[in-house]
Amino acid sequence: MTANSRNIVWRLLRRNISPGQIIGYALANFIGLAIVITAVQFYRDVTAGWNTDDAMISSDYLVISKRVEGMGSLFGAVSTGFSRADIDSIQSQPWCRRVGSFTSSRYNVQASVEMQGRGMSTSMFFESIPDEFFDVSPDGWTFDPSAPGEIPIILSKDYLALYNFGFAATRGLPQVSESMIKMVPLAVSISGNGRQKEMPARIVGFSSRLNTIAVPQSFMDWANDLFASTPADDPSRLIVEVNSPGDPAITSFIERHDWETAGDKLNSGRASYFLTLVTSVVIAVGAVISVLAFFILMLSIYLLIQKNRRKIHDLMLLGYTPAAVAVCYYRLVAAVNICVFAGAAGVMLIARRVWSQSLDAMGASVSSPWMALFVGAAIIILVTTFNILTIRRLTRRAFA
Amino acid sequence: MTIDTIQFEGVLPRVFRDSRGDTSVSSSGVWLSSLTFRRPEVYMVAAESGAGKSSLCSFIYGNRDDYEGRILFNGTDIRGFSIDRWCAIRRESLALLPQEMRIFPELTAMDNVLLKNRLTDRFTAAEIRAMFDRLDISAKTDVAAGCLSVGQQQRVAIIRSLCQPFSFILLDEPVSHLDERNNRAAAMLITEVAASQQASIIATSVGNPLSLDNFISLSL
Repeated sequence: MTANSRNIVWRLLRRNISPGQIIGYALANFIGLAIVITAVQFYRDVTAGWNTDDAMISSDYLVISKRVEGMGSLFGAVSTGFSRADIDSIQSQPWCRRVGSFTSSRYNVQASVEMQGRGMSTSMFFESIPDEFFDVSPDGWTFDPSAPGEIPIILSKDYLALYNFGFAATRGLPQVSESMIKMVPLAVSISGNGRQKEMPARIVGFSSRLNTIAVPQSFMDWANDLFASTPADDPSRLIVEVNSPGDPAITSFIERHDWETAGDKLNSGRASYFLTLVTSVVIAVGAVISVLAFFILMLSIYLLIQKNRRKIHDLMLLGYTPAAVAVCYYRLVAAVNICVFAGAAGVMLIARRVWSQSLDAMGASVSSPWMALFVGAAIIILVTTFNILTIRRLTRRAFA
Repeated sequence: MTIDTIQFEGVLPRVFRDSRGDTSVSSSGVWLSSLTFRRPEVYMVAAESGAGKSSLCSFIYGNRDDYEGRILFNGTDIRGFSIDRWCAIRRESLALLPQEMRIFPELTAMDNVLLKNRLTDRFTAAEIRAMFDRLDISAKTDVAAGCLSVGQQQRVAIIRSLCQPFSFILLDEPVSHLDERNNRAAAMLITEVAASQQASIIATSVGNPLSLDNFISLSL
């Protein structure tokens, strides 16, 4: 069949197309789709901003400790460690994926550093958490107990801030950046249980989620074996992987036990929970509009084919196949849907430009728009497929 | 596909089911009888109005199947042919001129013909123009078919029905609105095109038959 005869068929079949209905559908689906993909993109951009904050530990972790209160602990009356029963009760909560214990060092740690000819030395401590709680291991985050070498350390960002803005500023010491401090070699002296060992150490990363001086679990186990003189205590802090940090059930559980969570994790978790909720609602609204639009188009197609039934039947008498007739309508819905997708994608990209400026100002980078475009394309392909299947069914029925 | 025979075995429109015993049915040369249309014979089916001429054409053409009995093409029952098979048959083996013509009034006379011819690529534009010429409507090629007289529309429909290869052509009262001269011109054209491909003609009429020579006469 030549293009020209398709043209004659199209001239015949386009007669009863209602531009009002098609434009109504296109507008409605455009609005719905624009809402959906813009919301998807907004959610991704904002959460991408959060996640770049700390690549090592994802935001799905909470650090829980017991509250230190009154004078009781001074006299050893109240344990600030978590018992096996405490851990089991957390583990049994529906929002809990897994629980890990912080392991404390049970030996003396003395760290010293040479800076501009001035030596500094301080007593300190180490803690460790199981490796599976790290999303990303920083370079050098390994320790081999069979050949003890350099100790890798992850430091809380707060400690660096304390040094830079509190200590260094008042003592006339230079302020240091993260990358600078990673290059400074540390000398660590470990002692206990009648033994002592000097070891090199280096800071390999910073975390705002781990409020401690962290070393690999393998180093901690090795060092505790060698240098600890006391048996292991109950862990004083736990790291908990949760399904959703903003879940109100977590807050109430922790309050009921009178425990504490480190930092404002629950609040930011709540913000992310809220953001997820709002995004879901917005996406649902967009989806409902799109679904309604989809039905407008289906109804319009149905009416159109119904009105053209006689013509389609006459074309059949001439030997036209249902497919040859349906292809005219396929082209129509495909063209309309492609326009709808292009429009919605345009709106999303423009809106993204607006909020990316404020996100940039907050120091967060926006994520790529491919995911949102992919979601939009998937929806449009799905809608078009349904349209085409309906047209196919209706034209075949008009032929029968 | 070439159709050599169209066989009727006890065919009766369902609407006549209750008038089986009536003389109108029992005296029919087609209904309830065993009958074979053979290529390239020419058949003239004469009937009164309401005897089922259009039903006969629709049954053979496959757009209605509300009949009892069997219709066979080359010995194969046509009931249960797929839509796609019918579409192919209507492009390659069977031509139909319906009584109501089914001309698209919004298209020009020429476009109505091209709508069919471009599907089959049977004739060149010049050949089609020659046919318009022979039926004396060459002045009307670019006029919307809806603006033509019924007789002119009938001639457009005749040309359109010829624009395909066929083994049988079904003409349902093809010249009911044509005068004697145009009737003869149409008959000559149809006979020529049919003869060129050894095709069979089945024409019906109530009163004004197509001016054919040497035909087998049947009455419904």
